[in-house]
Amino acid sequence: MPRKIRGIDEKPRPINGNLAERLADELRNSRESGQPMVEEEAFAAGKRGVSVIWDAWDRLSFEERTSVILKAYELAEGHEYRETIALASGLTVPEAYAAGMLPFQIIPALRRGDAVTLEQCHQAMIKEGASTLFGADKPQLRFATEEDAEAVRKRLLQALPGSDQVWVITQEGGKVEDWVER
Amino acid sequence: MPRRLLNRCNQDSIREYRAAARQRFDDALAMATAGAPRRTGAIYLWGYSIEMVLKAAYFSLIGLPETRVIGWGTDLRPAIHRGRAMGIAWPSQGEGHNVRAWAELLVRERALLPATIFPAPFGLEVQRQGQRVEQLWRETLRYRKNYAYLYEMRQMHEAAQWFLGNAHAL
Repeated sequence: MPRKIRGIDEKPRPINGNLAERLADELRNSRESGQPMVEEEAFAAGKRGVSVIWDAWDRLSFEERTSVILKAYELAEGHEYRETIALASGLTVPEAYAAGMLPFQIIPALRRGDAVTLEQCHQAMIKEGASTLFGADKPQLRFATEEDAEAVRKRLLQALPGSDQVWVITQEGGKVEDWVER
Repeated sequence: MPRRLLNRCNQDSIREYRAAARQRFDDALAMATAGAPRRTGAIYLWGYSIEMVLKAAYFSLIGLPETRVIGWGTDLRPAIHRGRAMGIAWPSQGEGHNVRAWAELLVRERALLPATIFPAPFGLEVQRQGQRVEQLWRETLRYRKNYAYLYEMRQMHEAAQWFLGNAHAL
């Protein structure tokens, strides 16, 4: 009778090589803004959790995304570092937004006579990490904190001189039950 | 006169979750191995089996007594809020049944202390199994007429078996 014993790490993991390389590059050369947004959190015993918000995850399963993140860390930081990752999650911007993780948003509030066009605003937003998954002609620039949003607003002002009055930071109000429980 | 089924049922608790998880697993197995297998039905029940294993593990981890009644407002909803505050993506639709999120909450909660943290490969495997289940199961399956593919049933069976088999380590 054949006796097969499968260990935890022995099952083949689907890896999208290209995405892992791209993410590894981002990890090596961290930028001030834009996608992917990578957040690491320290856990007990030297372990860490990694969360990567990136529209490139679209069409990949959660399981594949986790595999890509682990592979990217192995490429960028080495096997030992990768072994410290206890939890790895990949979400697109719309998914992170739906989960309530990106309550702040920068929107272009254009008026007649402003020095910039809507098209210029959209291009600048996309450069700063706006998601086009909500609709190709409706990029959305979303953030976890007001500080993050404010930092990008300053960068948008630099990128588009004369847009001082254009950029508005808004915050989702949350659900009624959230307020009741506060 | 004997009491009716619903009147004989206990309220939710860790002990009840664990016992029911095993029973639903066996129910699903009976459906999957019947002469004319009921694949979607089997997947539906395995999903609940996994959900109960995870909830039992979580509430046991945070110190709830085995027989303490678990309620929506007192325990489940606060746990979901906690998960969100910890950065877990927890969509509001069907939030009580999101197996991937419960799995991640368990890993995340265990990671708070060196004494409880999962060894890295095992913690990631808990997450991976939860992610796999999320692709196959949602509590709303009960409203769907679709027939599951054989491989989908097999994947769900493997996942349910994994969670039940590792319940002691969760």
